[in-house]
Amino acid sequence: MKRSRLVAFLVVTAFSSFNVAAQEPPLIRFGRGFAAEEQVWLMSARPDLTPNQGKKYQLKQILFQANPERFQAFLAGELDGGTAPGLAVIFARAQGVDMKIVASICLEAAGKEWFSTTYMVKDDGPVRSAADLKGGTVGVVGIKTATDLWARAGLLNAGVVPDKDTKIFPMGFPGMGDAVRTGKINAGTFVEPFYSAEVARGGLRKLFTAVEAVGYDHELLDIWFGGKFLKTQPEAVRAFLADYVAVTKYYLANTAQAKRDLHKAGFVRTPLEIYLKNADWKRDPNARIDVASLDRLSKFMLEKLQWLEKPVTVGEMIDQGYLPR
Amino acid sequence: MRRLAPFALIGALLLGWEIAARSGLWSPLLFPSLMRIGYEFGLFVSRTDRLIEAWVSLHRALGGFALAAVVGVVVGMVMGRSALVAGLLDPLFSGTYAVPKLALFPIFIFVFGIGSLSKVALVFLECLYPIVIITCHGARSVNRVLIWSAQNTGASRTEILRRVVLPATAPFIFAGFRVALPVALIVVIMTEMVSSADGLGYQVIYAMSSLKTDRMLAVVVAIALLGWLLDKALAMLRDRLVYWEKLETYYV
Repeated sequence: MKRSRLVAFLVVTAFSSFNVAAQEPPLIRFGRGFAAEEQVWLMSARPDLTPNQGKKYQLKQILFQANPERFQAFLAGELDGGTAPGLAVIFARAQGVDMKIVASICLEAAGKEWFSTTYMVKDDGPVRSAADLKGGTVGVVGIKTATDLWARAGLLNAGVVPDKDTKIFPMGFPGMGDAVRTGKINAGTFVEPFYSAEVARGGLRKLFTAVEAVGYDHELLDIWFGGKFLKTQPEAVRAFLADYVAVTKYYLANTAQAKRDLHKAGFVRTPLEIYLKNADWKRDPNARIDVASLDRLSKFMLEKLQWLEKPVTVGEMIDQGYLPR
Repeated sequence: MRRLAPFALIGALLLGWEIAARSGLWSPLLFPSLMRIGYEFGLFVSRTDRLIEAWVSLHRALGGFALAAVVGVVVGMVMGRSALVAGLLDPLFSGTYAVPKLALFPIFIFVFGIGSLSKVALVFLECLYPIVIITCHGARSVNRVLIWSAQNTGASRTEILRRVVLPATAPFIFAGFRVALPVALIVVIMTEMVSSADGLGYQVIYAMSSLKTDRMLAVVVAIALLGWLLDKALAMLRDRLVYWEKLETYYV
């Protein structure tokens, strides 16, 4: 008697848990970065702004320090999507990784109202233009990253051959200011919040920005998903992007409050007063992707930098059909 | 047959890798086949610029190692034979041995610059510890009877150090070198991965950033071969200089 009761209990438990699992919305395992992705972070910091979360999808954000590790985690089946610079996705697509960019996060754009990654040199140093960097060194945050691309573009514009005429060294953003001031490197890459902090300290001067180096506004960060996940969970992706666009609009309309919330939730460690004052990158309220700029970047990577072994068809790696209409 | 045994083990490991790579369980971008790695390795060794990168890493590693060898042997010998010096330096070495010196690399960059010097300096520091500690142990373990015999023949302190202590410590010195040499290579590769515009570590990061795992593993194979060759060269040198203590004599 006791045994039959136990069997019945186990069957009911197993069935009900199966039922619960079947009702649960799909989980999106999302690889995020540590800079310029405010809207994405806000989706976890303020879930009340995302009506679909918990109903049509569940979101688990996982922090990654660099893009290769993020893509390796994706290839190992540990991620469904994430954030990445457009050029990193171009690299991944060139190697045949099945992924698509579905939305824009932010752009490098010209204009006083936007921040663009800035290369700075010592104020009283001999470098007055990029041409003066011949025989010198430039600090970037990582090899074959966007900061590396802009540095190379800036040098090439001035007729300086990267690697041959000027060495490009990877180093962390926090040490960049002192490295330039002490002459360890001749030029450094500065993004917010380091840019504002270093400008306030003084002793550094702008050489060129990312937009000036490349010559046009272009995609900086995007959201991507694996091809398989897009095929098997299209509704979850649509719901996620609907929330994402809503959060982007909220962020643009209530930037100060959103920044406070992100700071409170621990997504940003910069002192709040500095973080609130920082200039921000341009963000499209509808998260539309500047496809033409990515196309131009991929051609630049292929022809000028020889970073790609073969051309990448940018149109094939972008699908904006999941964004709300 | 005995000589072939280690190769059989390596062969089995490679076979296991190939089976896993071809199983289709993992993406070839993450787990490339030996064929792909071999192809990339062939490209690597056939290109002069890549061999120059290997030379850059090698000269950094050997530069730091050589400095550590000279300083480490002197410091280790003196610590082993002088209670006063040992009392002074022992707490410093034993207290900081476990510190991961790589964490000090940003400071080294600021002191020695972003080029080769900061890397050589870190290699020196990392290699110094095993050489000093093992040499010191060796210098302390010299048979007293040998020293007494030398003293009885009227040998001076310097002569005893040069003619008795140094030869008796030589096997330990080389043991320290064999521990330190792979450390030198590892440290150079890691520092080049953190901040460099050349060298094998830079090549690893460059390949990783392009998601070229096969190319990255080809560089790793080149590093492994380089390490193996260096170790073999050091073992040969040891057998020539310390001929009275060949490694084979330890095995029955």
